[in-house]
Amino acid sequence: MQKFFRRNLAGYAFLSPWLIGFFLLAIGPILASLYLSFTKYNVVRPPQWIGLDNYAYMVQFDQRFWKALQVTFQFVVISVPLKLIFALGVAMALDKGIRAIGWYRALFYLPSILGGSIAVAILWRQLFNYDGVINSILRLFGGDGPYWLADPKFSLWTLIVLAIWQFGSPMLIFLAGLRAIPQELYEAAEIDAAGPVKKFFAITVPLLAPVIFFNLVLQMIEAFKSFSGAFIISGGSGAPLDSLLFFTVYLYNEAFSFLRMGYASALAWVLLLIIAAFTAIAFWTSKYWVHYENERG
Amino acid sequence: MSKLTRRTFLGASGSVLALAAIGRPAFAQSTEIRHFWWGNPERDKRTFAVIDIFNQKNPDIHVTGETLGFADYFTKLTTQIAGGNMPDVIQQGYGVLFEYIANGAIVPLDDYVGKSLDISKMDQSAIDAGTVDGKFYALSIGANSHMAMFNTRLFEEAGIVPGETFDPYGYTYDELAEFAAAIKQATGVPGTDDNTADYQNFSDFVVQKGAMLFNEDGSYGPTQEIVEEYWSTWEKIRNAGGTPPGPESASLAGVSDLAQMGVVTGKTAMTYLWSNQLVGVQSLMQDKLGAAMYPNTPDMVPGSIVQPSQFVCLTRDSANPEAATAYMSAFVNDLDMTAVLGLERGIPSQSEVREALQPKLTEVEALSVEFFDKIQGKTAVLPPPPPSGSNEVEQTFERLAVNVLLGERSIPEVASDFLNQARAILARA
Repeated sequence: MQKFFRRNLAGYAFLSPWLIGFFLLAIGPILASLYLSFTKYNVVRPPQWIGLDNYAYMVQFDQRFWKALQVTFQFVVISVPLKLIFALGVAMALDKGIRAIGWYRALFYLPSILGGSIAVAILWRQLFNYDGVINSILRLFGGDGPYWLADPKFSLWTLIVLAIWQFGSPMLIFLAGLRAIPQELYEAAEIDAAGPVKKFFAITVPLLAPVIFFNLVLQMIEAFKSFSGAFIISGGSGAPLDSLLFFTVYLYNEAFSFLRMGYASALAWVLLLIIAAFTAIAFWTSKYWVHYENERG
Repeated sequence: MSKLTRRTFLGASGSVLALAAIGRPAFAQSTEIRHFWWGNPERDKRTFAVIDIFNQKNPDIHVTGETLGFADYFTKLTTQIAGGNMPDVIQQGYGVLFEYIANGAIVPLDDYVGKSLDISKMDQSAIDAGTVDGKFYALSIGANSHMAMFNTRLFEEAGIVPGETFDPYGYTYDELAEFAAAIKQATGVPGTDDNTADYQNFSDFVVQKGAMLFNEDGSYGPTQEIVEEYWSTWEKIRNAGGTPPGPESASLAGVSDLAQMGVVTGKTAMTYLWSNQLVGVQSLMQDKLGAAMYPNTPDMVPGSIVQPSQFVCLTRDSANPEAATAYMSAFVNDLDMTAVLGLERGIPSQSEVREALQPKLTEVEALSVEFFDKIQGKTAVLPPPPPSGSNEVEQTFERLAVNVLLGERSIPEVASDFLNQARAILARA
């Protein structure tokens, strides 16, 4: 035991800023929110223990809770695969030797740096406004664009496009994964007269599977938690007609607009459980499609 | 050697730092007071100027200002309540004030009245409006009412002359439908904002129809018929071409930013706001604004109320209530300070201040005083403060009204949905 500790001391020392932050800043609020989720708490008055009432109300009576789940699932299910396909496509294009490739990589990564920011969400709102840039371009070609943001049929799609646009980080990871695939495999396939499609599905996808899986899990969690875009574009309320009522936006509204901190804490724990469940499902299915090179058996 | 010395050194320098930290307040010359308000660029400019004047006159007190837009104001206040670090002096409105009092975030001022806080020249009505259960909590900055602001140039171009072709202090929805469409015909700009999702206009309409927003027992007042009639009334104006298309108005539902109002962006000729916002709106546009009451039904039952526009309140987190109330007192009584504030927060509730302002009014301020004179006798009585949950009912109204603007569901269906949800919210609050 002592030996183990001495051997790993340096590791823990390097970890310490994170560990201290975790125990001092994260564990406390996490436990507090678990406790608050069983209370009625309006911030000013002390919390009042009500057992499972928050959870029962949520499931039985709260229509907006179900709507928020629906919107969030829709967003995750549509945006994550599209974003990964897009990221993989760009990564494969950049994998070929192009001049000034460093510039292209930086350029494509840029939206991911900016993407989560409020400024970009505001910019997005301007672009998709009825009088915005997108509709101006459509008008040049004689079309009349819809009310992207005010029409519940389109509003979620603007956010999906915003999410796909931030494909930079999965792209970089894909790029690293592509580089790790031995070139001999492609050469051998070429000798066997395999076309690009065949090569993609027989070599690239299987060998990239661990990376695809990693990106999938990461982006899924990210998508479940996404907040700022929907918050800014919907004016903080999930409008129009709750079509942008992301789970986090609803949670924020309950907490800060209506001062139901206890209920909002319960919502936060439900979101945590949902994300945990989906991650577990992803890991379980991965047994059937992800194979690691160093796997035995 | 090295280990020991380093530790000693660290310990020593640490305690020096700690000493310095403890020592600071004792050396400080002044008492710190924080004032937090929601604003717009015009109000922020004036309020910071007022704080400078106060700090110069009171070297022993140092006031600092914090400001945010209305949309984020209460969010920040909530986190400050949770953290126990609310500013000493905060701005409050008539709607939510009472929830803060009920929850103990705002403390009574009675102990300071006659000492650091002078209310001897305040209007009795303003004092009454800030009094709950016999305790005086909230110092009114000014009086306020609902006002329709219109672009005089566009009205003129369409030949709509206030006082001749329409009476700004008594016009009906039918007349509004007519001249709004006429303005669209003549100028290409729709005559009015679409208030289908505007809760202020709706609350006026409810009173004009002889009901109350909240009944004596706290239950929700509007009936199915009233909600349906309100939305049909606006539908008629919309169908006559007097407003922008429904989806365009839907994108503005619940927006409180003055810069996005139809009259400012030039997308409509008339926007419905609070009278004290006239100064702020005029500062955002070139064309001159005119002022009118909200439209009415042919019966002309008063629907608008005159209410305190804003209060300043003392929070329970204030460490220096004497200094904070002295600042609040100066904010409503000091003639140099109130001269800078002008009418931006409403018509002042202190008689001397009003008199002092009179000769120096700008054109737009004179207009808002004229508006107040003209609406005398045409307003309804101030109802009791709204119950908890009213804020959520308001947001639900705005949200569901979008169904009507987009033509997604029929008016009767949305109306009954809204009333069901409103009742459920009030039962849960």
